[in-house]
Amino acid sequence: MEINRRRFCQLLGSAMLLPQMTLAAADDSRSAQPMFASAAKDRSGQYHLYLIGQQGQVLLDHPLPGRAHHTEAHPQRPLLACIARRPGHFIDIVDYQQQRLVKRIIADNGRHFFGHAVFSEDGRWLITTENEINTGQGRVVMRSLEQNYAVIADYPSHGIGPHELVQQPGSSVLVVANGGILTHPDRGREKLNLDSMQPSLLRLDLLSGERLDQQQLPSDQHQLSIRHIDTNREGNTVIAFQYQGNIGLNLPLVGVHRPGEAIQLLRAPDPVNMAMKGYCGSARFDQSGRFAAVSAPRGDLISFWDLQKNQFISSIKSRDGCGLAATGNSAEFIISSGTGRCIRHNLQTGATTRQPQTLATAWDNHLTTVRL
Amino acid sequence: MKSTNAPLWPLLLGISLLFTAAGMLHAAPSEPQWQALNHSLVSEHILPRYQSLQRSSAELATSTAALCRQPDQTHLERAQADFQQTMDAWQSVQNIQFGPITTHMRNFSMQFWPDKKNLIGKQLNQLLQQQNPDTLSVDYLYQASIGVKGLPALERLLFTGSLSDLENTSYRCQLTQTIAAYIAVNSQATLDEWTDGYADSVSNAGSEASYYDSHQEAAVDMMKALIEPLEAIRDQKILSPLGDGQVRPRRTESWRSQRSLRNIQLNVATLHHLYSGTKKSVDSLLRQQGRAAQADNISTLFNAIEQQLQAVQAPLITSLHQPETVKQLLEISAALQQLDRELSAEMITLNIQLGFNSRDGD
Repeated sequence: MEINRRRFCQLLGSAMLLPQMTLAAADDSRSAQPMFASAAKDRSGQYHLYLIGQQGQVLLDHPLPGRAHHTEAHPQRPLLACIARRPGHFIDIVDYQQQRLVKRIIADNGRHFFGHAVFSEDGRWLITTENEINTGQGRVVMRSLEQNYAVIADYPSHGIGPHELVQQPGSSVLVVANGGILTHPDRGREKLNLDSMQPSLLRLDLLSGERLDQQQLPSDQHQLSIRHIDTNREGNTVIAFQYQGNIGLNLPLVGVHRPGEAIQLLRAPDPVNMAMKGYCGSARFDQSGRFAAVSAPRGDLISFWDLQKNQFISSIKSRDGCGLAATGNSAEFIISSGTGRCIRHNLQTGATTRQPQTLATAWDNHLTTVRL
Repeated sequence: MKSTNAPLWPLLLGISLLFTAAGMLHAAPSEPQWQALNHSLVSEHILPRYQSLQRSSAELATSTAALCRQPDQTHLERAQADFQQTMDAWQSVQNIQFGPITTHMRNFSMQFWPDKKNLIGKQLNQLLQQQNPDTLSVDYLYQASIGVKGLPALERLLFTGSLSDLENTSYRCQLTQTIAAYIAVNSQATLDEWTDGYADSVSNAGSEASYYDSHQEAAVDMMKALIEPLEAIRDQKILSPLGDGQVRPRRTESWRSQRSLRNIQLNVATLHHLYSGTKKSVDSLLRQQGRAAQADNISTLFNAIEQQLQAVQAPLITSLHQPETVKQLLEISAALQQLDRELSAEMITLNIQLGFNSRDGD
């Protein structure tokens, strides 16, 4: 084994931290409280699902069979679902209290996942976006937890390349981002239809699969891929776009959709919109459902929006920052980054604080807060 | 055979010294080392290149103005030569995609390319048809569409059409002059912002006033400028014109001024300079970290690619139809990929992460 200075410092650091942490754990039961879960890549190139505690300590380290994308926390049980990055085939369901893999779901033949899934609000189903490879059509698939994750429904997403999906809180509506980009596992992650792509935002009844509404963008904006979304209690959806044309055109990169209306594009002030480099990585509402954060990892910044007023509020620097989650406080978010840093930003106070951390790892695109 | 009772400590000491030595050799660079490297790269690589862009674009503004006063062959050739100089300067600093050049998207204003939908042609033709005198000011160009304010628009005006177009239509000539003036203003502003603030931001990394939290973070931007262009050169400037079975010469960069190959040569020479042409360099840093063999490999690859490029026949707009050229370019593309891999591997040695979500997100 090669011992370098960094490794040596890590060993030294962990040896020094250990007694303190043990003491802290004995002193304060809060320290065992989880803060967030996220997939990550460690310094040796291995992929993990981590659950991180309020003091930054590692509460779960689950090795993954490959790179993952989104992590979803079960609303009632100590379960995490970690979904393979597209075009991946696994979803690991992990019980973080028992520290064990409960189930590894493998995509059916002729299918792959797109990196996102949600647990239904009642906790009974896991719902995924999938690619039907031979047709290239998107699917929305429901699996039952009571039946060991057997598929119980398989709906069309009415589009190509469905990516993130969310459930509108307090309703049976699923909102699905059809990114519009055709890929085929034989061609890796190559984009096969950029000239003709047609992204859309779908609202779907999760009990019947019925299409309630589907919104497309005007033809001159058809290369704005609808990738990452979040929906609040009123059914308003914030959209984070990824532009597939020449980013010098400086198109708006954030959108909002209200039920029954067309998608409205929102542009940050020019210097910020330009700095976002045509690419948003994640979108989340805060706990109140009024404010939203949209990350722009290529621009090393996070933008914040008031979606009651459809207004840009501010932006902060976060190098390679991508993962977003609402905390329990209004107007407050946790932001994770590929550099390994995690920060908390409160829009009301304007304060940005670094989260305590004991791990050096590259956080992958999305994180989820865990509160049971 | 030695006694088994022989003291173990010399052996243990030897082992621990060995580990210590290995540890020192493979340690990631320290903050002062990054600071020294950044300082060299700013003062010996970045600033001189922006100075050269500022000088050549100022000359181009002067010579296009002279061309409008007296539109003859001599003045046209002078303006074309100054365009070539300015493009040389731009291609030699195109790798820097952070700092002042990104303010107000100056980088895109300078050169909107590739232009798959012929946006530049459409927007330029619209202006030429309307001949609105209000469009003939640098202020107008500030808020004008990205297609009409940079080097590619100027290239069309100076290298397509005939001298009589410039003689007979004063609007066309004045638009040429205005775009050249705009490029000069942009180049000056980029240089000024580097010398009046951004260079300090790099050297004072970690301080409250700096954009950067650490010297290593600033070095990440420098290393991106070394590595990320390799893929762009390969994909956009070489593989895209090679097409899928059928060559597409008009997908080459700057084909109207017949300098597609020269652009690639300058790009590679620039990256080579960024790698090892300064007093403190990535090359010297790698050697300090005990990676001399890897540093040698990288230098060899740079030299080989430069030689391969020398052997390609210009201009690509015509030579691309020859199978020999296609073969040479495919070899160059493979060598660039190899160089990309080797440099990326050394970034791990140097504990530099170029970007996880930003470079490989979803």
